[in-house]
Amino acid sequence: MRIVPEIRSAMVLPNRIPPKNPVSTVVIYLVLVVFAVLFAMPLYVMIVTSLKSMDEIRLGHIFALPQNPTIAPWDYAWNTAASGFLNKGLKSGFWNSIKILVPSLVMSVVISSFCGYALACWHVKFGGILLSCLLLCAFIPFQIIMYPLIKMTAAVKLYNTSFGVSVIHTILALPILTMIFKNFFSSIPTDLIKASRVDGGRFLGTFVHVVLPLSPNIMIVVAIMQITGIWNDFLVGLTFGNVQAYPMTVNLNNITQTQIGVRTYDVYMAAAMLTAIPPLVIYFISGKMFIRGITAGALKG
Amino acid sequence: MSTRQTGLERTNEFIHRHAATLAVVPVLIVTLVFYFGSTIWSVAMSFTASKVFPDMSFVGLRNYKRLFGDNLWSLSIQNLGVFLVGSLVSLALGFFLAVLLDGKNVGERVFRTIYLYPMAVSLIITGLVWQWLFNPSMGLQQFFRDLGLKDFVFNWVGDKNKVMYAVVLASVWQGTGFYMILCSAGIKGIDSEVWQASRIDGISKFRMYLEVIIPMMKFTFVTSFVLLAIGAVKAYDIIVAMTNAGPGGHSEMPSYFIVDMYTNRQNIALGASGSTMLLLIVLAFMIPIGVINLLVKKRK
Repeated sequence: MRIVPEIRSAMVLPNRIPPKNPVSTVVIYLVLVVFAVLFAMPLYVMIVTSLKSMDEIRLGHIFALPQNPTIAPWDYAWNTAASGFLNKGLKSGFWNSIKILVPSLVMSVVISSFCGYALACWHVKFGGILLSCLLLCAFIPFQIIMYPLIKMTAAVKLYNTSFGVSVIHTILALPILTMIFKNFFSSIPTDLIKASRVDGGRFLGTFVHVVLPLSPNIMIVVAIMQITGIWNDFLVGLTFGNVQAYPMTVNLNNITQTQIGVRTYDVYMAAAMLTAIPPLVIYFISGKMFIRGITAGALKG
Repeated sequence: MSTRQTGLERTNEFIHRHAATLAVVPVLIVTLVFYFGSTIWSVAMSFTASKVFPDMSFVGLRNYKRLFGDNLWSLSIQNLGVFLVGSLVSLALGFFLAVLLDGKNVGERVFRTIYLYPMAVSLIITGLVWQWLFNPSMGLQQFFRDLGLKDFVFNWVGDKNKVMYAVVLASVWQGTGFYMILCSAGIKGIDSEVWQASRIDGISKFRMYLEVIIPMMKFTFVTSFVLLAIGAVKAYDIIVAMTNAGPGGHSEMPSYFIVDMYTNRQNIALGASGSTMLLLIVLAFMIPIGVINLLVKKRK
């Protein structure tokens, strides 16, 4: 009878060790808040700087709120800021990024999900070897395949076009995405696949009617991962695009580096915010899905 | 007409029967041609006399000799080491934050969201904003001088001895949230019995983490270390946006060196030999870990 309360308390208590006293809880929260402030600081500085005039910035109060908030830097960054040879601001880069993003998203998801599905649910000769090769590919640094890829895309007239950049993004994403899809589709009960085959369902039919309805989550995770990854890419856009096809990140970097003389940090920060907003919005909306994406795609590149 | 139709039917039948194989073909081609083919191409090119244009005459190890004689390349390898050791801070800090957040119900999501958001922005933006924070006359240095620390010096980006610390600080800001997430997952994966056993034994929480939890999270740490190493090898964007390898090449990194060789300095063979070295570095990290994994699996 004596042990009963002990067992009960063991059952009721959570798995974790409860904090011993309120003081330690307060200290822990204090530390957490300090780090939160440190992590949030650069974003805060970006926002307030982008709303100040250069005269106000020169006063050197980097953390001060803007005295006369102005959206002129945002307007200038979006419409007129000079980058390289063009004075068209960031908006051309924005549309280029969209033009790069949409085809590469569609191509990479379609090709890798089909391949992952075939490897997971159907018998493919040498499928295991292909998977090992894909794992190896995920570790090959981009720099080593960069120059041959430039030569190959140039040979088919895709070099220096936004579609060429899309193709390279697709190539870079395929190994990791195929592995992600393969792992996910392997968790679908084989009985479901078998039943569909008995009913006369073929490769495509089974995919559309059985597999896809079970995988909206993985599709969203992969889409988030691809959208943020491609949007934030710099090197592929720089090496495979040209003045007409540079994505927003390259555009942003050109704005900050081609200017001679005064460095206008108000415009730079506004431009940085404009470039950061699309992925940040996706991040704040998607929460857990984003986390699943970056952990699954950690090996990418 | 009729023969054409049967031909079409035959094609249809072929597609249906081999659909699974056909679905694999694009990825197979990408793997063999664009990854393996390109890698072999680059490695081969590193033994040639290519300069501005490819020139396939064999020159042996001449490019490697030149590479290791290149001051910038040695600097870049040195900086790779600094960057790698420095990024261990993001793993340590990530683990620390994961421990603090573990089991907190109040505000856990808010804190996690704040620690992780830098991961959502481009490294170009990270580099740019930290360059701004390090601005000597308008940035953090000025802020601390206004507070009364008249001799405060925080101009790391302009200082050739400290520029790598600035780059590491910016990348720690970017990456810590990610390692926190990996460590959180590792901590959550630990059996609840372990926690209860420790409570019955009555050992302190600190010792519990040090002596029980950390050794149990070996796999998480190894994974994190591999990712850190790959991140260091890949580091390019942040250098471009923050320092452009300056001042005087003191924040040169291998990745930057190679792209610079291919584009601005137009020395294809030297770029190819640099990227071959990069591949060897990655393999040097991967092979021991792969072997250990295999041994562990076999033992089980």
